[in-house]
Amino acid sequence: MWTGFHDLDDTFRAFDLLQRRLDRAFDHWAADAPQAAGARRRLRTVWPATNVFEAKESFVVKAEVPGVAESDVAVSVEDDALVIRGERKSAVPEGYTAHWRERSSIAFTRKLPLPTRVDADQVSATLKDGVLTVTLPKAKDTLPRQIAVKAS
Amino acid sequence: MSDITFEKQNGTNLGAAPSKPRARRAVAPPIDVFENADELLVVADVPGVAGDGIDLRVENGILRLEAKRAAAENASPALAREYEDVDYVTTFRIPAGIDTAAISAQTKNGTLQVHLPKAQAAKPRKIAVS
Repeated sequence: MWTGFHDLDDTFRAFDLLQRRLDRAFDHWAADAPQAAGARRRLRTVWPATNVFEAKESFVVKAEVPGVAESDVAVSVEDDALVIRGERKSAVPEGYTAHWRERSSIAFTRKLPLPTRVDADQVSATLKDGVLTVTLPKAKDTLPRQIAVKAS
Repeated sequence: MSDITFEKQNGTNLGAAPSKPRARRAVAPPIDVFENADELLVVADVPGVAGDGIDLRVENGILRLEAKRAAAENASPALAREYEDVDYVTTFRIPAGIDTAAISAQTKNGTLQVHLPKAQAAKPRKIAVS
């Protein structure tokens, strides 16, 4: 199917496509054992890909979650770790038939331990253009404090 | 999904913030292709791309799809880095029977949806038998 549709001018892309094709072939082979297939998928990839930034008074976590609706993602702070749970639904749209699929449905949970305690009440999260941004202010008592030195 | 590992093997800068902004790399996004009676629908994962970052070009029967990410505003040092701020480029040979002038696209939740309407002549038509 792809020979006619894709313009494969890049060898590496061809290999990448081949690999994806093979990955899916095995998914299909394991279709009657969905549990096993799911476990294998978790071993192979981490989804969503996440970047963690540290500012003076907060951490900023960004995760790439293309195709995830606001209502399909939940963010929480548990035991000084940020937990992102959700589901990327990728069904064939109503009335269409699928020719080529590289975007699978994914249910995900990621637990990211944080180096210091955070103020869980002040954590905020936004979802924009498929990027989830979570801002976690550090707990007040973990921030550096200036001690005034008095002459005696 | 294999995109992620593939990119990492090619030198994702793990664990450190880039000291200066480099030219962004462009990768081919994962895509789905669907079809109904009226159109072909291409869906691509392009996280970080807003509607105005999309560029579609049709040339010699090839559709070139470019999606540019908005500039990253986060300059804090990274503790962990699993993805790069890449742009997306991919090309398709447009099959026969597509009305290239009517190709349109929109973004939604970091996915790009490209509609390629079929030309009237290519649509299934019911022939009345008299």
